[in-house]
Amino acid sequence: MRIGVFICHCGSNIAGTVDCAAVAAKAATYPDVAYATDIMYACAEPGQDAIIAAIKEHQLSGVVVASCTPRMHEPTFRKTVERAGLNRYMFEMANIREHVSWIGKDIEANTNKAAELVRMAAAKLRLNKELKPKSFPVTKRLLVVGGGVAGIQAALDAADAGLEVILVEKQPTIGGKMAKLDKTFPTVDCSSCILGPRMVDVAQHPNITLYAYSEVESVSGYVGNFDVKIRKKASYVDWVKCTGCGLCTEKCPARKSYDRFNEGVGPTTAIIIPFPQAIPKKASIEREHCRLLTGGKCGVCAKVCPTGAINYAMEDEIIEARVGGIVAATGYDLIDWKIYEEYGGGRYPDVVTSLQYERMLSASGPTGGHIKRPSDGVEPKDVVFIQCVGSRDPSIGRPYCSGFCCMYTAKQAILTKDHIPDSQSYVFYMDIRSPGKGYDEFTRRVQEEYKARYIRGRVSLVYPKGNKLIVRGADTLMGVQVEVEADLVVLAVGAEAASESAKLAEKLRISYDSYGFFMEGHPKLKPVETNTAGVFLAGACQGLKDIPSSVAQGSAAAAKAIGLLSRDMLDSDPQIAFVSANRCVGCGKCIEVCPFKAIQEIDLRGQPKAEVIETVCQGCGLCNATCPQGAIQLSHFTDNQILAEVEALCRF
Amino acid sequence: MSIQDDIKAAIAKALQDIPCVIGWGAGPEPLRATPLFMRNAADVENFTAGFLAVNNPALYLPSCKGVKTALVVKGCDARSVGQLVAENLVKRDELYLIGYPCSGVIDVDKVAARLEGKCEPGEVTRLREENEDVILDTPGGEVRLAKKDIAADKCARCRYPNAESADVFIGEKRAPVVDQDEYADLADFEKLSLEERKAFWEKELSRCIRCYACRNACPLCVCRDHCVASSREPHWLTQADGVRDKLFFQLIHATHLAGRCTGCGECERACPVGIPVLTLKRAFSRQVEDMFGYMAGIDVNTTPPLLTFRLEEPEIKEREW
Amino acid sequence: MSVLNTKELRIIGFLCNWCSYGGADTAGVGRFTQPTDLRVVRVPCSGRINPLFILKSLLGGADGVLVSGCHPRDCHYAEGNFYARRRLELLKGFLPVLGIDPRRFEYTWVSASEGQRWQHVVEAFTAQIHGLGPARGWPEAPELEILNAVAR
Repeated sequence: MRIGVFICHCGSNIAGTVDCAAVAAKAATYPDVAYATDIMYACAEPGQDAIIAAIKEHQLSGVVVASCTPRMHEPTFRKTVERAGLNRYMFEMANIREHVSWIGKDIEANTNKAAELVRMAAAKLRLNKELKPKSFPVTKRLLVVGGGVAGIQAALDAADAGLEVILVEKQPTIGGKMAKLDKTFPTVDCSSCILGPRMVDVAQHPNITLYAYSEVESVSGYVGNFDVKIRKKASYVDWVKCTGCGLCTEKCPARKSYDRFNEGVGPTTAIIIPFPQAIPKKASIEREHCRLLTGGKCGVCAKVCPTGAINYAMEDEIIEARVGGIVAATGYDLIDWKIYEEYGGGRYPDVVTSLQYERMLSASGPTGGHIKRPSDGVEPKDVVFIQCVGSRDPSIGRPYCSGFCCMYTAKQAILTKDHIPDSQSYVFYMDIRSPGKGYDEFTRRVQEEYKARYIRGRVSLVYPKGNKLIVRGADTLMGVQVEVEADLVVLAVGAEAASESAKLAEKLRISYDSYGFFMEGHPKLKPVETNTAGVFLAGACQGLKDIPSSVAQGSAAAAKAIGLLSRDMLDSDPQIAFVSANRCVGCGKCIEVCPFKAIQEIDLRGQPKAEVIETVCQGCGLCNATCPQGAIQLSHFTDNQILAEVEALCRF
Repeated sequence: MSIQDDIKAAIAKALQDIPCVIGWGAGPEPLRATPLFMRNAADVENFTAGFLAVNNPALYLPSCKGVKTALVVKGCDARSVGQLVAENLVKRDELYLIGYPCSGVIDVDKVAARLEGKCEPGEVTRLREENEDVILDTPGGEVRLAKKDIAADKCARCRYPNAESADVFIGEKRAPVVDQDEYADLADFEKLSLEERKAFWEKELSRCIRCYACRNACPLCVCRDHCVASSREPHWLTQADGVRDKLFFQLIHATHLAGRCTGCGECERACPVGIPVLTLKRAFSRQVEDMFGYMAGIDVNTTPPLLTFRLEEPEIKEREW
Repeated sequence: MSVLNTKELRIIGFLCNWCSYGGADTAGVGRFTQPTDLRVVRVPCSGRINPLFILKSLLGGADGVLVSGCHPRDCHYAEGNFYARRRLELLKGFLPVLGIDPRRFEYTWVSASEGQRWQHVVEAFTAQIHGLGPARGWPEAPELEILNAVAR
């Protein structure tokens, strides 16, 4: 083999703390290395051209590039060597930037380490084999999980591009958090007026199949062909027959049920249509509140339903579908703010969350758009907003900024003044974060035009006094302690990933961070992709963001999915397991452990043998580590290749 | 009729529809029996069970695949069979197991030690079993030894003297020697410091001649001709004559047997230079028992612990990093 | 090719591509300074790691071996790290029988987002290995007399 080694300076990123020329000189002494040089930017066009020229000039049969992480540029350089006529797998990378130059300044140690990493890469490359992908057909159907504004946008864009779309929503209606909002910042336009038409588009789009009140049960398969099971939860109402007339909700006697859509601001019935613009506009029974289903006697809804849609015997239904790609758009939930004892820990009825306040402001909410104190129904005059309740608070493990609370608090202060002209709003804040288009102007307006009093400081205590709440806090700009007598306290509760997002991530085999937010493929360059091919992210499930950003990401995820599914055939990754039939004793241990059922037993001249189903194997190598005699090996990560790397370090 | 005769009768009966019954027959010298492949009545006459029935007949099973085979088994042999069945390496319905109560098997090295140099084990001209003793005829006269003093180590910690999974059981079941394997041998070994242990293995392995008798005697080493020790694809082991490579082979053997080894001890018995290789396997077995409550070869319906997992592993105390 | 005398010890890391390798990248991008001893072998999944790789490393002169994969339940291949956890735990418990200090081998889980955690793991493990000092080597094959004779 004739190996060429290219040590990238990456400008000064690597060359600043690694003697690249010395590494190249050292690499030239390694076995089979025919050519070694250092290069300013290997990934830039002149760098790639230099690699191609060297391959031709020195008849190289394999290439090592020592530069950044292979997670970044391995695909780039594989294409480069391919352009020079080599098989793309006759290439290895040594990560001397993220793993060397960026984590220490000791030039001697870094140079030595870089040279060793190159030695490992070259040792492995000597055992690389040419690999060729196989192609397989793609299912041109997209699954979107989550029917909030991001999921709606992704579904509509993909459907408009001609893809079949399956939209799965956990709640009985799509709309997500945005549907609960009264108005949106900074335009103060009506949330349901801008979201509603989109929701109707979803319902009417010929390419979209909506499964509301449903959840993803399981996902198997791989990019291009995922097999998905969807659990359609029992709504106890036949949605084919239900016309959404709402008669059942009027007559239902279980009138003290928790109203999930309205955040518990008022009670509701056991059979509900969450809100007037719900899509689908169908009734569903909440089992735990229904008198009949919980063992009592009732059956009123069945009696009044004009179409006979009520079916108390309904059971969950599993729907199976094959899709080529998946967009996760599961959004966020508010954190459990009741851990904050200083704000009453949930004991004071007149301390409400921002989302509850939205429902009070909404004309279609339980108060009909009238702001009323939950305790006595009186209109409040002094309203205190407390920001960063569960945001930027390392003491509860939430060190991040939730991003949108400064803005919605400003909006709510404006709306408060609009609803109650003689009211006074107070906002306790840490910093005002308003970097969006028109955002900072908006936060100025609320103070200057609407005369909201902004107090920079934290609140240390909220306690009841008479029919008022005393909010005690610091005004750090004035350097004094302040107390405000409030009629109502609104907490800008921070957000976290939706409650069951980790479970979904496990089903989709994507990563999530310690807060449950899904990991994008690359923080800058792959903001909507994940590390699992064919799975994309949209909206707050990837990280908290406001409506415009969620919509933008929904479109971006759709664009990526459209790009993927516009192809008829996909190339399979050839880095998969293969069996040496003559070494296989047919013990079946590989079959037992394979997470993908990608290995089957075959009969070879009367002997049982393992065989890899090439399009199903995902290349994890668990079988390889399990097979005692090493009869099944993972291409590109064979025992011998890993041993070569170990031996390059140990010389054993 | 003795148990021996009853077993012979059972073998003869089995031979009516099974071509071969594997047991033990008289060996080359009075202290040793040898595996016996019985195909007819004359073969059965040579059958012997009891104190000399040392070899583990399960060794031959993987090569009998597809042919109905009968085995005469001790309790420990039955565990090896059970593990092979659990791993689908042999099919239970292709087997016919004849069990009997085992009261232990001989360790010839211990006999040699007891003879204290007065004669070699090979010079013994006759061995008779008398209840819990054996009587040896030696050039210097009769020597009476208690079986327990010259039985294999494994017999002193035997929990399964009766082949519980046998299709037919001859004789009365014996009580287990112990209820629980306390791994006292390991505890003794672990009195050594880490440095001493390393020195121990260096010294022991320096005698290794890489004959692979340990592997060839292991009933669960089913790779046989495809052992990674002698392959280049993958190439785990060099042919170099150093302790490191010799030890590494033992580590391959031990890791391949982790969660599978039944402790039959054939590897150690087969070693011509007396390296205590079973210790390595028992170190894994003790952990597997503690961690997963799994004993190889007992329950054929339980998946071996390294071929499965639990989402939460209560017995694995992961260290905080 | 050798470890820098007095400065470094030989530490080999086996990292899964999807989580821990990414975590190490994240640490690099964040310029989280780390000791230079560690050399990383990238594998697709912690389930790919045969415990024999670790034994081979330790017998071959590594002073420490670190394995890091995705957190349980977060495996890119759904189940690989569950198998790895059992195998690696058994291996760690086995090392003392060979006279190898079990602290020379650790396994842990670091996700791609946990750059700081990766820095901490590398710092702590490197310090642990330096605390133990260089591992005592295992005798290699003696030079064959016959080869020397031929040479003469």
